[in-house]
Amino acid sequence: MSRFYDIDDILVEEESLTNIFQVGVNGVGLLDPSAETNSVEKGAKVDLPVWLAHELYLRRAALFNVPACFSQKTRKEIQADAACVDLRFRSPYFYELGCKIAPQVADKTIGSFLLYTFDNRYKEILCKAHSTPVATVPKLLNRLTKEETNLFEAARSSMVAFRKWREGGSRLERASVLGRKRKSNIPIPQPSTP
Amino acid sequence: MYGRRAAQLVREVGSCEKGQLTNYNSDTFDQVIKECNEHNTQLQSLVRKIENENLDIQTTRNEDHFGAVIHHLSVIRNKRCLMAYMYNRAETIRSLRWKVGRVLPQEIQEKFNYSEEEYFKNYNAAVDSYMSEMDLDLTLDMVPPKDPYIRVKVLSDIGEVLFGDHPISLTQHSLHFLKRTDAEQFISQGLMEEFME
Repeated sequence: MSRFYDIDDILVEEESLTNIFQVGVNGVGLLDPSAETNSVEKGAKVDLPVWLAHELYLRRAALFNVPACFSQKTRKEIQADAACVDLRFRSPYFYELGCKIAPQVADKTIGSFLLYTFDNRYKEILCKAHSTPVATVPKLLNRLTKEETNLFEAARSSMVAFRKWREGGSRLERASVLGRKRKSNIPIPQPSTP
Repeated sequence: MYGRRAAQLVREVGSCEKGQLTNYNSDTFDQVIKECNEHNTQLQSLVRKIENENLDIQTTRNEDHFGAVIHHLSVIRNKRCLMAYMYNRAETIRSLRWKVGRVLPQEIQEKFNYSEEEYFKNYNAAVDSYMSEMDLDLTLDMVPPKDPYIRVKVLSDIGEVLFGDHPISLTQHSLHFLKRTDAEQFISQGLMEEFME
């Protein structure tokens, strides 16, 4: 329940999975674009978001396949050179999605595969976070999943904070929400006189 | 697809930078609520259909049951998305009180929805009443000070301001030696900056 309001957790559950219905369902014609009636037949193949697929799985109404981002092809690429694989293209929530579906699919190797992937990319991400010049950062970020991007940013910002601390610059700053250049019209408050 | 629009709303909050606020998207918000009502109608009609067939609503697991389940889940999903949207915005709004101050610039206020304006006002009042009860300004010294005084450069004309009991005229580009606590709010609003040699 603690992650009820979590934006990333909500968005992971929006990723789509291919489901095979084990039962017929009435009154939900919208789900299956190829259906002629307002219902889904038993055995129909339909793409559903994770939140729905998960609940239907628990009720034994539908089973889902392992999504394409965990296919053999991806696994081979990751084994070849984990750091170079464009994971964002496969799924921006690669790890989270894997964790969510791992207990529910027959394939039991997903857990160890995720660990292997993260393990091999982690060092590369941290090294690059400290050494990459600002200009090439966007190109690099394109390949990272959401989780890895957070890691990358965290590494960079801690480095920036460290440098700032060592040089001892100004520590009072204008609130970042106000933007850099735009002039804002804040009514000037009068400090209260004691 | 069910719940897609609600997820779009959440994505909007997720894609903007941390601490920033997007415009309140009342159009999509209302559409999602309409979607919920639609799901509810369908759910009711499926339940009625089961009842008309004289089946036990608790144990029936036929096609209508699963249809009702899907609609029910969609309502719950939509609700979660809407709640998350409001909750995350409220969090940002609270942080504005600490980062910017009691008065917000026009362009930020425009992004509020009516209830959020009220929320900000009430939050202000709550913080104020706490601070006056404790006789302590919590918003001062957000960064631990090294020196009670500070050299500042004025970035835009502020005019005459009373510090303690003597007025100082703060014109653009002028330098001043002020009490840190006095200068802090001007700096966080972007009207002054700390002057360094």
